[in-house]
Amino acid sequence: MTKARPLIAATILVGFATLPLLLVPAGALQLSDRTRQMGMKIKCMCGSCDMTAAGCSHPGGAFSGPCGTAMAMLKEVDQHIAKGEPDDQILQAFVQQYGTRVYAEPPKSGFSLVAWVMPSVYLVLGTLVVIFVISRWVKRPTPESGSGSAAARTISPELLARAKAEAARETEE
Amino acid sequence: MDVFGSFALLLAFGCAVYAFVGGIAAIITRHPLLVKSTRQAGMATCGLIFLGTFCLEYLFFTDNFSIAYVVSHSNRDLSTFYKVAALWSGMEGSLLFWSFLLAVYVLSVLITYRNKNGELMPYVGVVMAGVQIFFLTLNNFVESPFKALAASGATDYFTRADGNGLNPLLQYPEMVIHPPNLYSGYTGFTIPFAFALGALLARYPGEKWIHLTRKWTMIAWMFQSLGILLGAHWAYAVLGWGGYWGWDPVENASLLPWLTGTAFLHSVMMQEKRGMMKVWNVWLVFCTFLLCILGTFLTRSGVVSSVHAFAQSNTSSWFVGFIVITLLVCFGAYLKNRDYLKSENQLDSVISRESSFLFNNLLFLVACIAVLSGTLFPVFSEWFTGDRISVGAPFFNKVNIPIGLLILFLTGVGPLLAWRKTSTESLARNFGRPLLIGLVAGGVAFAFGFRAFYSLMSLILCVFVAATILLEFYRGAKVIRARAGASLPACAIDLTMRNTRRYGGYIIHMGMVFVFIGLAGAAFNRDVQKAMQVGQTMEIGPYTLMLQEVETKPERNYTAQRMLVEVLRDNKPMMMLFPEKRNFITNKENGTMVAIYSTLKEDLYVVFAGIDPETQMPVIHAFLNPLVKWIWFGGVVVVFGTLVALLPNRRSVLVLAGAPQPVQPLPQAVTSSVALREGHD
Repeated sequence: MTKARPLIAATILVGFATLPLLLVPAGALQLSDRTRQMGMKIKCMCGSCDMTAAGCSHPGGAFSGPCGTAMAMLKEVDQHIAKGEPDDQILQAFVQQYGTRVYAEPPKSGFSLVAWVMPSVYLVLGTLVVIFVISRWVKRPTPESGSGSAAARTISPELLARAKAEAARETEE
Repeated sequence: MDVFGSFALLLAFGCAVYAFVGGIAAIITRHPLLVKSTRQAGMATCGLIFLGTFCLEYLFFTDNFSIAYVVSHSNRDLSTFYKVAALWSGMEGSLLFWSFLLAVYVLSVLITYRNKNGELMPYVGVVMAGVQIFFLTLNNFVESPFKALAASGATDYFTRADGNGLNPLLQYPEMVIHPPNLYSGYTGFTIPFAFALGALLARYPGEKWIHLTRKWTMIAWMFQSLGILLGAHWAYAVLGWGGYWGWDPVENASLLPWLTGTAFLHSVMMQEKRGMMKVWNVWLVFCTFLLCILGTFLTRSGVVSSVHAFAQSNTSSWFVGFIVITLLVCFGAYLKNRDYLKSENQLDSVISRESSFLFNNLLFLVACIAVLSGTLFPVFSEWFTGDRISVGAPFFNKVNIPIGLLILFLTGVGPLLAWRKTSTESLARNFGRPLLIGLVAGGVAFAFGFRAFYSLMSLILCVFVAATILLEFYRGAKVIRARAGASLPACAIDLTMRNTRRYGGYIIHMGMVFVFIGLAGAAFNRDVQKAMQVGQTMEIGPYTLMLQEVETKPERNYTAQRMLVEVLRDNKPMMMLFPEKRNFITNKENGTMVAIYSTLKEDLYVVFAGIDPETQMPVIHAFLNPLVKWIWFGGVVVVFGTLVALLPNRRSVLVLAGAPQPVQPLPQAVTSSVALREGHD
């Protein structure tokens, strides 16, 4: 029975794991058509909804769907696709027409590249800082302290004082 | 009543100024009567703000259309329920509501600590009064909600027969509870800020300010979490776009202080347990408060365009001024007293709980900066290039999903690491099983066709984190069961009640796992839009939708066009759904009421999009959104976990009841407690 317990626990956890999978229909991921994909890359330029052309539901409007502006933009995308133009060219056509505000996401070139690069820079720099801080904080092992787990279990006077204060505080509550 | 309310706010401003100036004098002179009188002035400020707020609500309830704010945000047919919400639906009222909620917190603090922490409280009182002065300045002199209605440029006042009505998008039950929750979060972070700054100015010894503010921080964090989730649910149920989070600047503004607040709730443990990261914690609290103010500013300034920016005005310079002054005060206090924040920085090993907290904080902060810089990028790009470059949801998703997954990974790893040092054997022992279960789940998922990379990673990590949490509960409950002999669930409850903070935290983590499961489903969303005549059908996933009827239904405040949609599955009728399109009578605006059939598996989300302008046929927009319900359920679990973490430990209560004197053999008890906590907590 004791040996079976971890197995039961594992089965329950795997069951928990697979539950969402069983709930999601297999192969549910349906790639949208190209117009829809392009429509997600450009913003609806109606000036009030701030959504993508393909995702425009125009809250507050008489029609919750792509609004008139978004619909016209999507039709224009269709026309470009019919001419056999590549995605970049279609996007540029909209930029020429509406300016850089039409981008749903900043292009990965020019000044906009900053937007894409900065989060990675923050992460890398931050990681370096954290590694630097940890390396400074790590206590150099002394010969008498050793490196075994017994040393780690030793309680310093500061830690003892802190734990006393914590115990007293919990008793206060 | 408007004069009365106006006067109450003016008097509140005077009291706040006295509490601030008198408080500084009390700190300098240490005169007990002055300390007492400034504390009472602080209480009076709160009482007068309550009075002013009730006056404005009274004007709404009595349909007083001589007041400009009431005219703009209410009308006679507006239900009482929404007349309450009208208070915060515009600029002036929402700022008064800020003051109101802040007053609730300030009064609670002043009453709770009226006879305690005498050295610290005058400083805290001064900081809180300073924040109140700023908002009362806006309430009285910049955006007064009690302005009488007058023709533009004229001095003759008049009364309108009826008001313009409330924005239709706000006429939804969640809009009555979402803003109060979110604002309670924003305002609540003022309290830890006041204690942090007060303690720094007073050079208050030890970590007592952290112990005093832990509950206030958790309450503010809980309200902020709840506010964000309710806002997401409102966007899902009302905007009719099938999504719940659009990375709108106003949504982002609410997320920023939540991220730093969450980082603080974790890093604060480093200071409590090890006396480390004192400077970091103080600055995290400062940043969280400043981000709350920045969020309020972004929502109202019009600096960034947003569908949620419901109230815009010329308060920008006031907010910028307040942020700059606060920042200067924080810097000044830090530079003057930074030696007070000297940490006991020492680690035994790189692989330790402390390191995981550092990385946890790093990730929260990177997420915060990434969201902030993305939100403000259109402004920066306009400054530098002259072109305003939009940053929409696709950018935020690409940047933040990997960071979110890393945070989720640390959520699982953190509890497996011990304070000070973790041996590789214990790491392998604790890490192995949950990781294996996660990978098995991932393999099964892959075999079932779960191929979206981020969703698959999210699922593996969710299972891994859930496994670590459940194993923690299981191990602890097993120890209790060996002694007490009760059932495992009863032992798990007992375990939780013995250390509510730790196990409440685990429950919160579990809630976040559920939220991530829900978010992972977004990769599989699909939708169909179709113009239909009565009797026609459309297919989406396993469902068939048949339009049975379109009816027009006049209501008190609006006219509803309602679709009767029959849902069939395998050609068998399942239910009827009633999506609506509402046209509001007074302001001629439109609203949507989405019909949702929600299960753990998926949401069938049906929108009556309107009448197709070309074909004049009614249009249904149907979405099939998998796993969305897990997000709302996760939110409930997060709130429950926070409430558990706020409860006192059961053992502490027993000690109090049974032993009037402090426990005598403390060193031994403490030593064993420390030894026990080496691998946990």
